[in-house]
Amino acid sequence: MNSSLTAASRGLASCHLCLKLVSHTLHDCPRCGSAIHLRKENSLQRTLAFLITASILYIPANLLPIMITDQLGRSTESTILGGVVLLIELGSIPIALVIFIASVMIPLAKLLVMFYLCWSVHHGPPEITRQRTVLYRMTEFIGKWSLIDVFVVAILVALIHLSSLLVIRPGIATVAFAGVVITSMLAAESFDPRLMWDQLEAEDE
Amino acid sequence: MAVTGSSIEEINCLACPSCDLVFDVSKLGEGESARCTRCGHFLTVYREDALHRVMAFTSSALILMVLACSFPFMTFKASGLESVMTLPETALKLWVYDMPGLSLLVAAFIIIIPTLMLFLILFLVSALLLNRNYSWLPRVGRLVYTLESWSMVEVFFIGVLVSLVKIAKMATIVMGISFWAYGAFSILFILAMSGLDRAQCWQRIEALRLSNLDSEKAGSDE
Repeated sequence: MNSSLTAASRGLASCHLCLKLVSHTLHDCPRCGSAIHLRKENSLQRTLAFLITASILYIPANLLPIMITDQLGRSTESTILGGVVLLIELGSIPIALVIFIASVMIPLAKLLVMFYLCWSVHHGPPEITRQRTVLYRMTEFIGKWSLIDVFVVAILVALIHLSSLLVIRPGIATVAFAGVVITSMLAAESFDPRLMWDQLEAEDE
Repeated sequence: MAVTGSSIEEINCLACPSCDLVFDVSKLGEGESARCTRCGHFLTVYREDALHRVMAFTSSALILMVLACSFPFMTFKASGLESVMTLPETALKLWVYDMPGLSLLVAAFIIIIPTLMLFLILFLVSALLLNRNYSWLPRVGRLVYTLESWSMVEVFFIGVLVSLVKIAKMATIVMGISFWAYGAFSILFILAMSGLDRAQCWQRIEALRLSNLDSEKAGSDE
C-alpha cells in the first residue's frame, strides 16, 4: 500500500533507549548497550498484568481514607469521593468538579483506555490506527500527573501540624493510590503501539 | 521525509517509536523538528547550541535545588499558631507516620532522581562539549534516559499549587524562599530535559566515539 517502509520490514530494530537502527539479530545496541528487541518483550501480557494490578488497587484507593484530620480532639477520616461530596455541600462546585475529574475519572479512564488498546491490537478497527496511537500517547503523557493527589496529601501532612488545634495525617489509601498510578505508568510503558501498526500491515498484504 | 529507497545510511535514520516507519533526519536545519508523517509522533529537533543551553539550565537548576532544600517552603498560620514545612519534610513526615515506602518514593520522585539526573547530565554534556571520549559516556546517557520518566518535578509543583487552593481559605499561608526556588527549578529542569534531544544527544556521543577511534588509528599508523 505504501512505498515507505518500516524498520521491521527491512530487518532493522530501533533501540528503545537511544533510537539507533540496528540489525534485529543483535543482542545489545552497539551505541548505548541496551538490550535490542524488535518489539517490546511480551508487551500485551505485561501490560495486562500491570493493568489488572492497578484495577485491584483502585478499589482500596477509593474506599479507604486518604487523609485523617485531627481537629480539636476530633478525628475525621476522608476518602477521595468524600472530599468531593464535602466540596459540593460547601458550594464549591467548580473545585469539586476538577478534583472529581482529576482523581476519580482520569485514573479510571486511563485503565479503561489501556484495556481497550490491548484488545484493539488484534480486534480494533484498522482505519483508526492513527487515532488509537494518539490515544495511547495521551494516556502515556497523563500517567504521572495523577500523582498530584499523593503529593497534595504529603504536602498537607508536612505543612499542617498545629499541636492540639489541627493536625493532618496521611491515610492508607495514599499508598494504594500511589500504587495505582505507578502500576498504570508501568502498563503504559510496557505497551507497544507498533503492534497495532504491524496488524494493519499484515491485513494490507 | 519518509525513506522509500532500499539503501540507507542507517546512522542518519531513525524509526518512529510509535509506528516503526523509517525517516532520514540528517538534513534538519537550525531549529527544525521532525514528526512522523503516518502517526504524528515527535521524532527529533536540531539546535546548533543545544548543549550550551542544556549546560546553562542544568547548572542553574542545581544551584536552585540546593536553595530549595535549605530554606522553609511554606508557613501555615492559624489562630496565633504556625507550622513550617521544608521540602525534605514532605517525604520525611510520611516516614514518621509509618509509611516508609511512600516516603522513599516521594523523596525519589521530587529530590533524589532529579538531582541525580542533573549531575549525570552535567558530566555527559561537559564531556561532549570538551570532545572527551570517556568509556562511561554510554552508561551515563543510558541512566539519564532511563530515569527521565520517573522525575516528577513539575507534577509536584502543580501539587503545591493545588494544596494552596485547597487551604487558602482556612488560614494564612506564607511562601518561603524554597517555594520560589523550587518553582524556578522545575521550569529550568523541564528546559534542560527538552533541550537534551534523545536522537541528537546519542548521535553526538556516537560521533565523538567514532572520531576518537579514527584518530587512534591515525596515531598507530604513523
